[in-house]
Amino acid sequence: MKLVFALALALPVLAGQNDSFLIRNATVHPVSGPKLDNASVLVIDGKIAEVGAKIATKAKVRAIDGKGLHIFPGLIDSGSPIGLVEIASVRESSDTGEIGEFNPQIRALIAVNPESDHIPVTRANGITSVMVVPGSTGGRGGGSGSIISGQASLIHLNGWTWEQMEIRRGGALQMTWPAISSGGGRFGGGGDPDSMPAAMAARRTPFSEAKRNQEAQVRKIQELFESARRYQQAKTASEPGFKPDLKLEAMIPVLEGKLPIMVFAAREREIREAVQWAEKEKVKIVLAGVRRPGKMTEELAKKNIPVILSSPFTPPLEEDDPYDEPYSLPGALHKAGVKFAFASFGTQFARNLPYEASQGVPFGLPYDAALRALTLSAAEIWGIADQYGSIQPGKTADLIVTDGDPLEIQTQVKMMFIKGEAVDLETKHTGLYKKYLARP
Amino acid sequence: MRVLTLLLISGALLSAQNVTVIQNGIIHTVTKGTFQGSVVIRDGKITDVGEKVMTPPGAKIVDATGKHVMPGIIDAHTHIALDSINEMSLSVTSMVDMEDVVAPEQPSIYRALAGGVTTANTMHGSANSIGGQNVVFKMRWGQNADGLIFKQAPPSLKMALGENVKRSGNPSGFQMPGVGQQNLRYPGTRMGVEDVIREAYTRARAYQQEWKDYEARKARGETALPPRRDLQIEPLVEVLEGKRRVHAHCYRADEILMLMRVFDDFGIKNVTWQHVLEGYKVAKEMAARGDGASTFSDWWAYKVEAGAAIPYKAAIMQAKGVNVSINSDDAGGAELMRRLNTEAAKIMKYGGVSEDQALAMITINPARQLGIDKFVGSIEAGKDADIVIYDKNPLSIYSKVEKVFIDGKPYFDRDNDMTERPKKEAQKKGLLDKEKDSEKRNAPQMRRPS
Amino acid sequence: MRQQLLSLLLLACAAMIPTSAEVPSLIAIQDARIVTVSGAVIEKGNVVLNRGIITDVGPAAAIPKGAWIVDGKGLTVYPGLIDAFSTWGIPEAATAAPATGGGRGGAIQVQITPGQAATPQATPARSQGPQDRPGTNSWVKAADLVKPTDRRLDQARGAGFTSAVTFPRQGLIGGHGAVVNLGGETSGKMIVEPDAGLHMTTQPSGYSGYPNSLMGVFAYFRQLWLDAGHYKLSRELYAQSPASVPRPEYDRALEGILGARRLLLPASGPIQLDRMTGLSADLKTPAVYWGVVEGYRMADTLKKAGASVILNVKWPVKERDTDPEQVDSLRTLELRDKAPTSPAILAAAGVRFAVSSDGIDAPRDIIRALKKSIDLGLKKEDALRALTLSAAEIYGVSARLGSIEKGKIANLIVTTGDLFDDKTKVQLIFVDGVKYLPPPETPQGPAGGFPGGRPGPTGPVDQEVR
Repeated sequence: MKLVFALALALPVLAGQNDSFLIRNATVHPVSGPKLDNASVLVIDGKIAEVGAKIATKAKVRAIDGKGLHIFPGLIDSGSPIGLVEIASVRESSDTGEIGEFNPQIRALIAVNPESDHIPVTRANGITSVMVVPGSTGGRGGGSGSIISGQASLIHLNGWTWEQMEIRRGGALQMTWPAISSGGGRFGGGGDPDSMPAAMAARRTPFSEAKRNQEAQVRKIQELFESARRYQQAKTASEPGFKPDLKLEAMIPVLEGKLPIMVFAAREREIREAVQWAEKEKVKIVLAGVRRPGKMTEELAKKNIPVILSSPFTPPLEEDDPYDEPYSLPGALHKAGVKFAFASFGTQFARNLPYEASQGVPFGLPYDAALRALTLSAAEIWGIADQYGSIQPGKTADLIVTDGDPLEIQTQVKMMFIKGEAVDLETKHTGLYKKYLARP
Repeated sequence: MRVLTLLLISGALLSAQNVTVIQNGIIHTVTKGTFQGSVVIRDGKITDVGEKVMTPPGAKIVDATGKHVMPGIIDAHTHIALDSINEMSLSVTSMVDMEDVVAPEQPSIYRALAGGVTTANTMHGSANSIGGQNVVFKMRWGQNADGLIFKQAPPSLKMALGENVKRSGNPSGFQMPGVGQQNLRYPGTRMGVEDVIREAYTRARAYQQEWKDYEARKARGETALPPRRDLQIEPLVEVLEGKRRVHAHCYRADEILMLMRVFDDFGIKNVTWQHVLEGYKVAKEMAARGDGASTFSDWWAYKVEAGAAIPYKAAIMQAKGVNVSINSDDAGGAELMRRLNTEAAKIMKYGGVSEDQALAMITINPARQLGIDKFVGSIEAGKDADIVIYDKNPLSIYSKVEKVFIDGKPYFDRDNDMTERPKKEAQKKGLLDKEKDSEKRNAPQMRRPS
Repeated sequence: MRQQLLSLLLLACAAMIPTSAEVPSLIAIQDARIVTVSGAVIEKGNVVLNRGIITDVGPAAAIPKGAWIVDGKGLTVYPGLIDAFSTWGIPEAATAAPATGGGRGGAIQVQITPGQAATPQATPARSQGPQDRPGTNSWVKAADLVKPTDRRLDQARGAGFTSAVTFPRQGLIGGHGAVVNLGGETSGKMIVEPDAGLHMTTQPSGYSGYPNSLMGVFAYFRQLWLDAGHYKLSRELYAQSPASVPRPEYDRALEGILGARRLLLPASGPIQLDRMTGLSADLKTPAVYWGVVEGYRMADTLKKAGASVILNVKWPVKERDTDPEQVDSLRTLELRDKAPTSPAILAAAGVRFAVSSDGIDAPRDIIRALKKSIDLGLKKEDALRALTLSAAEIYGVSARLGSIEKGKIANLIVTTGDLFDDKTKVQLIFVDGVKYLPPPETPQGPAGGFPGGRPGPTGPVDQEVR
C-alpha cells in the first residue's frame, strides 16, 4: 500500500520531464567506491553527470528528495529467457530452444516480446538489464541436445520495441559443453525396491559408452570451429567461389574474440575440458551454471575466466553433499578470487535475482561482493562496464531508488530509471492486488 | 531394595538433566509477542517462557544471547520423504495412504531440518480429483517411519482440481504410458471434475446408509450379510463425518468456488485450500466458510492456471479473514522448504504484513490447518519444545539456522554438522580404499571353476 | 523343431536317470564323516537309507543285509541343501528374467490377469480398481507347475541342492509356493509340501491400471484381504440360509487368498521391513520376509518381531565401467561393504534365516557367497544351517527335511570335504533315497553351463572384478 502511494506521488512529477533530474539527500551506493551518505546524483540526458555531497552543476532539472532512500546501480541478470517465454509449460508461448545442435546465427533479441508480463514484474524488484539467452531453461522450452543455442542479447527491461531495449544484440554465444552423462544411482535412482533398497539401486549407462558419445559431440564442436576458421580465411582472402554461410558468418566475431562464449559447464571435468578447449581455440569464454568446480577453482581465478552462477535455490548436487552446498559456492569462489555474476535462468523467479546473491552472505560471501556480482562484476564480465554497473559520472543512468538494501527481501524499490528515464513500477500483480483488495 | 533406591535417585537426576534452558535470546513466541528472554524445556515440552524464568539446577543451558528463537517451522504442503507420490490410475484414489510409503532416510528430512522445519504435512500428489490419505510428521531425523509420524495430527485427505486432474482426460495432453486415446481418464474438464467429486461423496452417503441399514437388520435379529467394506469410500465417509480434514489443491477462483459449494452441499467444513493461487479473488467466500489457505509466496506463470497468481495473495486473503500459511510443495529435494522463513518475509514485502503475521504463516497458521495447534506452532508453555535458533532475525535473508530442537531434543546443530563433514569424508574414503584393495586382491585370482 | 527339443530334453534327463537299471532301495554310506546339522558331527559313521527314508545314522549304525554300500572313507555326508526361495522346478521361470535379485528384473513381471476372465486377453485391459483383481494370481500353485524336466535341476543338484521352495512369481501376487525335491520321475513325486506360502511383490511398474504406485499396492492388498473375509462370511451365511442370503459369486482370486498359511513378503531393508510387518499384521497372516539385502541393520527389528527371513546372497558389488569422477554415496558404499556381513549379524542376534538363489546364475555361487560371509565372521555351522534345517523350519517341514536324522527324507549329499571349501566336489546326491551324479563340469563356466542362467554383465559374488 505504501509503495502504491509513493508511486502515485512520484510519477506525475516525473511525467514529461525526460531523462534529466537530480536526486538529493540520499544514501548513494556507487559500488565502484564506498557509499556516500546525504549525497546527490545528477543525471543529464540519460547519463550520470555528477555524484557527491555537493553538486557543482547548476543545470535546471527537476529535483527529487531522496531523504531516507538509497540509490544503487540497476541490477543485471546475467542470463534469462525473459521476453522469449511467457508460460513455461506451454510450448506455444515459449521461443527458446531452436531445433538443431548448432545455431550460432540465431539471436535472442529479435524475439523479445516487449509486452511480456514478466518484464514489469522483474524490473519491479530492481533489475534493469538482462542477458537474454536463446537456449532452453526448462519447462517446455525445447532445444534438448543443443550445443550452440544461439546468441544471447543484452537488453534493458524498458522500451517500446526490442530495438529500443537493446544494449548489445550479440552479447554472448550460448553454448553447452557436452557432459559425460552415465547417469547415476543416487537417491530416487530407480530399480526394484523389493530386491534392493531404492536408494542404492543404480541405473547407469556404461561410462565408456557415455564417454564415446561425449567425445563425438566434442568433435562436432571442433569441426564447427575448423569450418569457421576456413570460412574466415576464405572470406578475408576473397577466395574465388566463396559462398556466404550464415552459420559460419556468425562465428567470425567469436573467432575474433569480439563475442564471448557463455559455456554451460557444471562440474570439474566439463569445466576443465571447456577451459582447455577455449585455450586451444583462442576464444574468450564465460562459464555458466558452474556448480562443482573442484580443483578448477584456482585455475579459473588464475586464468581470469569469469563465472555466471545460477540460482542457489536448488538442492545439494549429491546425496552426501553438505546441506548448504549451493549456498556456500559463491563465498568459495570469491575467496579464491574468481569473478562471478548471477543469473536467474528463468522467468518465474527472475525477480528474485537479488536474493540469489544475498543467500550466499550468511554462508561466507561478503556483502559487498554480493552486490558487486549483481552490478559491476556483471557489467565487467559482459564488457559493458564503461557504461553500466556502477554510479559514476559518464555512465548510463540505470538507477534504482530503494528504501533499504535491495538484497534484503522486505526492501521496496521506490523508483527506477533506465537510461535516465523513470520506469513504471506497476505490474500485472500490483494491478490485480489493488483490484481485489478493493473487492467489496 | 537398594537397586530400587538407586534407580529412584538416578531417575531424579535424569529428570534434572532433562531440563534445557534456552537463555537470553530474542524470543519470537509468534502468539504472545517478541521479547528478550528464555525458554525452559522439560521432558520435551515447553514449561516456561518469559523475560525472566527460573533455571533449575543441573539444567542444560543453551546460550542464545544475540540470537533469535522461534517455533519450529511447519510446512502444510510437501511431498518429501515418500517413496511414491501419485496413484495416477483412477480419478478417486482415497484408498491409498501416504503413511505406507514414508521414506525416513531420505536426506530431504535433514535438509528441511537444517532450514528450521520441524513438522510437515506430506501429501499425495495432485494427479486425481480425490487423491490419497496424507501424513503429518516431525523431522525426527534418524528415526524410522513410525518415529517420524506426528501421532496426534488428525487424518486428512488430498483432493485436487484443475489442470493436473484433467490432464489424463485431455486427448492432446499428457498420456500415462500404456494408455491410448481410447483410454482417456474421465474427467477432461473442470465440469467433469465437479461431477467426479459429487459422485464420490454421493456414493459415500449411500455407503453410510448401507451400513446403517445393516446395523438395523442385525439389531432386529435378522440374518444379514454385512456390506462389503470399501477402503476407497471409507475415508470419504470420515470426511462427511468431520473426522478427516480435506486439503484441496486448486488454482482458479471459479474452481475454488465450485468446490466450496459442493462442500456446502455435503456439510464438509474445515478445509484447507492448497496453492489456491487465485484464492485472493474469492477470499471473502473462503473466510465465510472458515476455511484456511496454504499458498506459495511468489510462484506464478509456470502454467496457464497460474497466470493470475500474485505475490500479494497471502496478504489479501489474510486481510479478508482467512487463516493463511506459506508452503513449499517440495518433493525429494526439500529446496524451498528450507527457506520458508524468507518466503514468509516476502509477504511483508508484498502486502505489508507484520513480522508476527509473517512468522505466523509458517508456524501457528499451518498448525491450525493441520489441527495440531494445541501442540506446536508457537512458543508457549505446555507446547512441544519444537524450537529453532537463528543467528539473526529469521525474516532476514542474512540469517541462518544454528540449532533445531524437536520435543526438546537437538536434531540439528550447525557446528556439529560442520565438524561431522570431514569425518564423513574420511569414512567414505576408507570404504572406497577398502573396496579398491579387495578389487586388487581379487584381480589376478580368477578362481572360476573351469 | 519339436524333434530337436525332445532330444534336448532327453539329453538333459540323461544325468537324472539313476545310473543303474536296478534302482536300489536300501543303501548304506559307510565310514563317512557325517554332518547331521541337528546334532553333533559324527567323525566316522554310517547312514542307512531305506525306501527314501533315513532309517539309521550313527557311529555304529548297523549296515542291514542286502544294502548297497557306498564307501564313505574320506568323504563327508551333509543333508541335502535347500534353496529357500526359488523358481527351480518351474520350467517357464527358467526362461523369464529372475523375478528378483537382478535389479529391475522383477519390474517387468507384473502382468494383468483379470480375475474372472474366462480366456486370457491379448491386450490386458486397464484395471479399474480392486474388483478387477489386478496382477493377482493367488489361485496359481507351484505344485501344479513343477516338472522334473526343468533343465536347471541338474546343475542345482550338482551344487548339492536337493530341495527348493519354489514360487510362481507373475504379478503382485504370484501364487502359492511348494517345497519340492529336486528329483523324481513325475511332478507329483517331487512335491514335499504343496502349501509353502503366497508369493507377493510390491512393484507395480509398467502397469497403468490400478494400482500403479507403491501405496496403491498396499491399499489393494488390504482391500483384497477384506474382500476375502467378506467372501468367506458370505459363503458361510449362504450355507446357513441359501434362501435369504444371495449366493456369493465364485472368485478364484479370493479362494486362493483364503488358503494362504503364510505370506512371502519383500523386505530389502529396514524401511521395507517396517512396512511389511505392518502389512502382515493388517492381513492377519504370518509372513516370511525375503530379500533382506540390508540384513546387517535389520537384526533388532527381526528379533523383536520373531520373524524369519530368506536372504538374497547375491551380494551387491560395484558396477563395472562407471564414471571414475562419480563417487557412490556413503549409503551405497556401506551397503556393498556390509551386505555380506548380514548372515553373521543375524545369526548372532538369533534371527532364523535361510538363503535364496535369487539373482544367482550358478547354484554353486550360493555356497561361495556364504563362504564370503564365513570369512567375515559367520560360523560355518550357521551357514550350513541356513542352507538346510533353518529353511525346513521356516516352511514347517523340519520333521521331514533339513538334517540327517532317523525318519527324515533321504536327501543327502556326499562330498570330498568341507562344503565351503571351493575345491570340494559333490560326488553323490541322494534325493528321496535315489542316487544322482553331479553333471559333468562344463568348460565354458557357470553362466554358459547353466541353461537357465543369464550371462549378464555382472557375475555373482565378488568374482567379477578383473
